[in-house]
Amino acid sequence: MDLLQILVNGLSVGAVYGLFALGYTLVFSVLGVINFAHGAVFTLGAYFTYLLIGGAVGANGWLAGVQLPFALPFWAALPLAGLGAALVALLVERVAFRPLRRRRADPLLALITSLGAGVILVNLIQLLVGAESYAIPTGALGGLPASFSLLGARVRTVQALLLGIAVVLLALLTLWLEGSRNGKGLQAVAEDPETAQLLGIDSTAMVRLAFGLSGFLAGVAGGLVGLSVSIAGPYFGIGYGLKGLAVLVLGGLGSVPGAVLGGLIVGLAEAFVPADWSGYKDAVSYGFLFLVLLLRPRGLLGRPLPTKV
Amino acid sequence: MDAALLEQMLLGALLALSVYLPLGCGQLSLATPGFYAVGGYVAALLSTGVAAFVGSGATSPLWALLAEMVLGGMLAGLIALAIGGPVLRLRGIYLAIATIALVEILRVLNLNLPFTGGAMGIFGIPQPFAHAEGYVLFTLALLALACWLCQRLEALRLGRAMAAIRDDELAAASVGIDTPRTKLIAFVASAVLAGVTGALAAHFLNSWNARAGSFDASITTLAFVVFGGSRFWLGPVIGGLALTALPELLRPVGDLRLILFGAVILLGPLFFPQGLVTAERLRALGALLGRGRHRSRQAPQAP
Amino acid sequence: MNRSPDATAPVPLLQVEAVSCRFGGLLALDRVSLELEEGEIFGLIGPNGAGKTTLFNVISGLTTPSGGRCLWRGVPTTGLGASGLNRLGIARTFQNLRLFESLTVRENVLVGLHHAARAPLLGALLGNGAFRRHQGRLEARAMELLTLLELAALAEQRAGDLPYGDRRRLEIARALATAPQLLLLDEPAAGMNPAEKDDLRQLIGRIRDHFALTVLIIEHHVPLMMRLCDRLAVLNFGQRIALGSPAEVRTDPRVIEAYLGGQGQARGEGR
Repeated sequence: MDLLQILVNGLSVGAVYGLFALGYTLVFSVLGVINFAHGAVFTLGAYFTYLLIGGAVGANGWLAGVQLPFALPFWAALPLAGLGAALVALLVERVAFRPLRRRRADPLLALITSLGAGVILVNLIQLLVGAESYAIPTGALGGLPASFSLLGARVRTVQALLLGIAVVLLALLTLWLEGSRNGKGLQAVAEDPETAQLLGIDSTAMVRLAFGLSGFLAGVAGGLVGLSVSIAGPYFGIGYGLKGLAVLVLGGLGSVPGAVLGGLIVGLAEAFVPADWSGYKDAVSYGFLFLVLLLRPRGLLGRPLPTKV
Repeated sequence: MDAALLEQMLLGALLALSVYLPLGCGQLSLATPGFYAVGGYVAALLSTGVAAFVGSGATSPLWALLAEMVLGGMLAGLIALAIGGPVLRLRGIYLAIATIALVEILRVLNLNLPFTGGAMGIFGIPQPFAHAEGYVLFTLALLALACWLCQRLEALRLGRAMAAIRDDELAAASVGIDTPRTKLIAFVASAVLAGVTGALAAHFLNSWNARAGSFDASITTLAFVVFGGSRFWLGPVIGGLALTALPELLRPVGDLRLILFGAVILLGPLFFPQGLVTAERLRALGALLGRGRHRSRQAPQAP
Repeated sequence: MNRSPDATAPVPLLQVEAVSCRFGGLLALDRVSLELEEGEIFGLIGPNGAGKTTLFNVISGLTTPSGGRCLWRGVPTTGLGASGLNRLGIARTFQNLRLFESLTVRENVLVGLHHAARAPLLGALLGNGAFRRHQGRLEARAMELLTLLELAALAEQRAGDLPYGDRRRLEIARALATAPQLLLLDEPAAGMNPAEKDDLRQLIGRIRDHFALTVLIIEHHVPLMMRLCDRLAVLNFGQRIALGSPAEVRTDPRVIEAYLGGQGQARGEGR
């Protein structure tokens, strides 16, 4: 496999990791905790996409054989799946995060409650649609060819799509964070919740916004991965969720460009693992993470935290 | 209650204590399942591959089990010792994620190393006890020993130093506590306990594979401690026993069982943010029983 | 140039040599030098944000200076860290009170006592006679300290439940438990009324005599410091602008300038 091919593969996988980590980082920056239900929301995004393009449920769940009465083209199904995932993320915030926030409980507890929410979601999926894998047909892309060649490398259309959508979403997110009222509000809450509250920013609304956005990003990423490699079952988000966690710390907790940079680095590094060693591929990101934590504990683009005496 | 479930509950309680030890000095380490897996592999490899440990037929001698537990605990402890220095400089969520990464690295190694049996793992691990009841008695003794050590720790210099670090690491350093060393001791002790438990569990489960140490297990064992309470050793023990039993007890509800399990994990911290075992409840229990553990802890050196 | 300590002249207990501390663009300490003689009560005054607490943090090992160094009895303390410096004989209290809140008053002091007193592990685990005698000595010592600081009646209370003044005294007790030769007190009288301040002044004098201590103290209440301290240094904007006896400092024109020109509340809260 030549270099260009490796780059294309690595970048497209990295884009998914980046989208995933962006979702973590948005929530982390406003709440200072990790949302362990994020992987489940990603998984839901994939299933939503599958259903919206007219896919039928298999024979094993409570919803066996169910099919939506319409079939949307992929480009319409994907954002709708993202919206659906955003709603679920808001629900997760409502049941697993807000009660703790209201009681000013130890933030550590949110690790547990969000994991509980994730366990519920994953098993709900299994109950409803079974544990089998679902493939989103590449025909869903309409008239686009399944792959094209670029400077001699064979690029699958879905890879290009993944990378393109990730870049566009990142650009939009950055513009929005820097340019809009809500975006600045979100940053203010991330910086200092109490001061933001004094300035009249509704921090609860900002937290909800962060969850909604992170859910949307996860849902879109899930739909794209579903299209790219098929949905391997209710648990398929967990592996990505863990990679996303590594990416998150690699880039720097709470840093938006860091999340994307971290994703691309990990994606590329994995793509460069030789085939003979492919079993160890999953350890690459964690190895990186370890190194970065030891050499630069705040991550590549993270800000140092002040220690107060 | 059947003995196999009881044994699993006891193993859960041991793992919960392993998570509790670093948490007792404020360190959120999720590495326990990684060390548990390492201990299990040591036992599995020795008892299926080394003639002296194999024993006759399907049974293996008790001394072999003990030796494997010691060796499994030692290997886990050595790994913890090697990585603990740099890793424990990390704080809070960073430490948690670094330890998750450690668990994942160990899992990938366990899946791919040439001698660990790949995804299938190692099976046909010989049994030192003919029945589950034997395991239960043995594990009960181990758990009692671990609890006794945790209880003694509270009266010791080390235990107080841990509590001080949990409350305020900076202030602890300023009264002369060697905070890196204290944290390292807690981390290594946690790893040893997890490794010992893994060696025992590998025999009990008869087979061992990389799934023993996974991210899921990291969070589940943390849930044991959060659920039971992280201030006194009794909390993790109760949390470990209860949450291990729960999925089995929920078996009658069929497909809904894991959803209900998730709901319990979700709702537990909302209703019991301090966990089930708190200082106040212990004191109330102590008053109820006449002479409680908490009061005897406060009276200096009641024999 | 490195002066080697003169064999005949007594070496100062603590020397602060041209210590600078930079946080980003802020120069919190600018080549500050001090020498503490054994047995004196030395005051550190200056407006908010002058760098007093930063200097404490450097001396006690919580902050690494960006320039300069400290010497303890003539030996550089660089790289020892907070716990190392405490074992050397430096103990401190904190401006914002950092007690072990979930521990009892007695346990807070025991934590301080522990570092000096190591018990054999096996005996400790089994709780044998030698260990119980060892524990008994520590407990007695803790109660002595609590009595001295009028906290004995509160020994079994959780430190987090104490009222403010008691917490301040508990922090002093905890620091004393580590058997220091130099005690750093960071605004011990903050939030106290005049009568309490007077008690505190007498207490500090008593402690100094009882434990043969050297005391370095930060306090805003200037009249209290004038009566309490043997010598004073004044910091302003990270620089030491005056040093001397209370009488000398009181009349120093730069001090008057700093206080009249700079003590306005507009400078805000800070270290």
